[in-house]
Amino acid sequence: MPSDSDLVTVPARARTSTTTRVAKVLGLLVLAGLVISFPSLAPDSFILSVGVVIASYAVLATSWNFVGGFTGYISLGHAAYSGLGGYGTALLITRADVNPWLAMVAAGVLVAAFAVPVGIASLRVRGASFVIVSIALVLILLLVFQSWGSFTGGSNGIRLPRPFGDDVLRPEQHERFFYLHAALLAVLLLCWWAIDRSRFGMGLKAIREDEDKAQSLGVPTFTYKLVVFVISAFFTALGGGMYALWFGFLDPIFQFSILVGSYMVLMSLLGGIRSLFGPLLGAVIVGYAMEFFKAQYGDTQAHLIAMGALLAIVVLFMPDGIIPALRGLVNRFRPQAASIREVSAAELAEQRRAAEDTGGSERGEKEEVRR
Amino acid sequence: MTASGLSTTGLTKSFGGVRAVDGATVAFHHGKVNALIGPNGSGKTTFFNCVTGMIKPDAGTASYRGRDITGKAPHRIARAGIGRSFQLCRIFPRLTVLENMLVSVRTSSLLGKLISARQSADVDRARELLARVGIDHLEHAEARDLSYGQQKLLELAGVLMADPETIMLDEPAGGVNPALIDRIGKLVRSLNAEGKTFLIVEHNMDMVMSLSDHVVVFDRGRPIAEGTPAEVQEDPRVLEAYLGV
Repeated sequence: MPSDSDLVTVPARARTSTTTRVAKVLGLLVLAGLVISFPSLAPDSFILSVGVVIASYAVLATSWNFVGGFTGYISLGHAAYSGLGGYGTALLITRADVNPWLAMVAAGVLVAAFAVPVGIASLRVRGASFVIVSIALVLILLLVFQSWGSFTGGSNGIRLPRPFGDDVLRPEQHERFFYLHAALLAVLLLCWWAIDRSRFGMGLKAIREDEDKAQSLGVPTFTYKLVVFVISAFFTALGGGMYALWFGFLDPIFQFSILVGSYMVLMSLLGGIRSLFGPLLGAVIVGYAMEFFKAQYGDTQAHLIAMGALLAIVVLFMPDGIIPALRGLVNRFRPQAASIREVSAAELAEQRRAAEDTGGSERGEKEEVRR
Repeated sequence: MTASGLSTTGLTKSFGGVRAVDGATVAFHHGKVNALIGPNGSGKTTFFNCVTGMIKPDAGTASYRGRDITGKAPHRIARAGIGRSFQLCRIFPRLTVLENMLVSVRTSSLLGKLISARQSADVDRARELLARVGIDHLEHAEARDLSYGQQKLLELAGVLMADPETIMLDEPAGGVNPALIDRIGKLVRSLNAEGKTFLIVEHNMDMVMSLSDHVVVFDRGRPIAEGTPAEVQEDPRVLEAYLGV
């Protein structure tokens, strides 16, 4: 039995903070450059519109990730908030003659208010029960918006006037909406980043890891969950409203669809829900793949099959998403990554001797620790 | 005797037909190391959970420092000054060791919640406590990569980070090696010397008898005996409960 004094622990990896910081700033600049130059690089109006669709998905997935990534509550029903945001914007413009941009923000605020009682009711249950409750809301809203034809336009949908007027041509409109979505996304990413590093964010992440434990340490878990849930609903509604203004037409069957909510989840899981840029990366991959399959195979179900296969691959091989998987790969080749397992001095000496003999056991040790 | 600490009156909790805690009336000694012992299934952990708000008792009251804490939310009881560990050590697996510590930092102001979690004063205090339990060299490691013993020490340090007056430990010696049991015992003693009250549920009798000032023995959901370790060891009711009728 090793006594207390001869327990030796190999130090945790030393941080090369300057290099990583420079790399991060460079990466951000490259990303911003790509986004800004995309409209001028896009060969035609169709590709530009694909860009807008992907940007819209990125906004929705990042909004979803305020709940999913921080608290680990997987909502499959976020289409409720994007749909309500879109319809709210459309109805305020067509029924109350509100300025389109004001209507979009007002709809976001209304949806946030609506999310308070929904959150109070649904955040009481965890895991699978929460998922079911979140789906139920979408189905209810679908029925309401389909049936209440006199107010919502019913199954025929609702048409929105073009916010920039009719003299702005389609490619020009696409370009403006691409930048608008990119700006909204930038705001979202900034908010997510700010929460991520805050004490509030630390409490939320603790809820994700172990809710009861977090509460026993004094984290007011229910309030925290509710606040971040309302923030998420607000941003999702803004995303839905902006999409409605761009697309100009809303059909309840597409707005209040389980698929739309599932895409937000799939994109976020694919990129990595614990990473700032995870949902964005997932949206680019899934959004591009969807448009590719639609263009290639027409309006078939091929893109759904491909999505299903993609989700299966991600869950099997990269349960934490692409970004953490890549980070793990990079760390694997870092020399300072080391065991943090407690070993006795005798064990350590033995390991070193074995490493000299074979040259390989140290590698194996790292593997084991990383799992 | 001090009545100012943690006490319960007629605390009762049933699961189906089983009365896990059955009218327990106990007063723990404030400022002392209290131990709660009893055979398996005698209701110790359920009692713990009722007191800390994890489950709501069916009847009876719990009070702490003159305030009624019966059925209050766990985070309110935590903020009243009671910290606890869990029977099967619970930490935040995918947060780093340092982040695990920072979860315990409390603020009531909105601005205080929005500022960076890595305030240098908090980080310094976290490092100090990690050094005290002996795992400060692991601060950047993810908690799930720690050994079980290290996780136990991290859980204890996390509870201390919240600076509770009363610390409830559910089987601190469970599943750890003798060297570590010794280390945890020394920590409890030095923290008690600094004024912390302890309430420990433990099966390791050597630890209970050497560490505690006051022992409460549970059987079938209620206390059957209490006193100093020496008194309790001599009590025929205790021997009967442990050895069976």
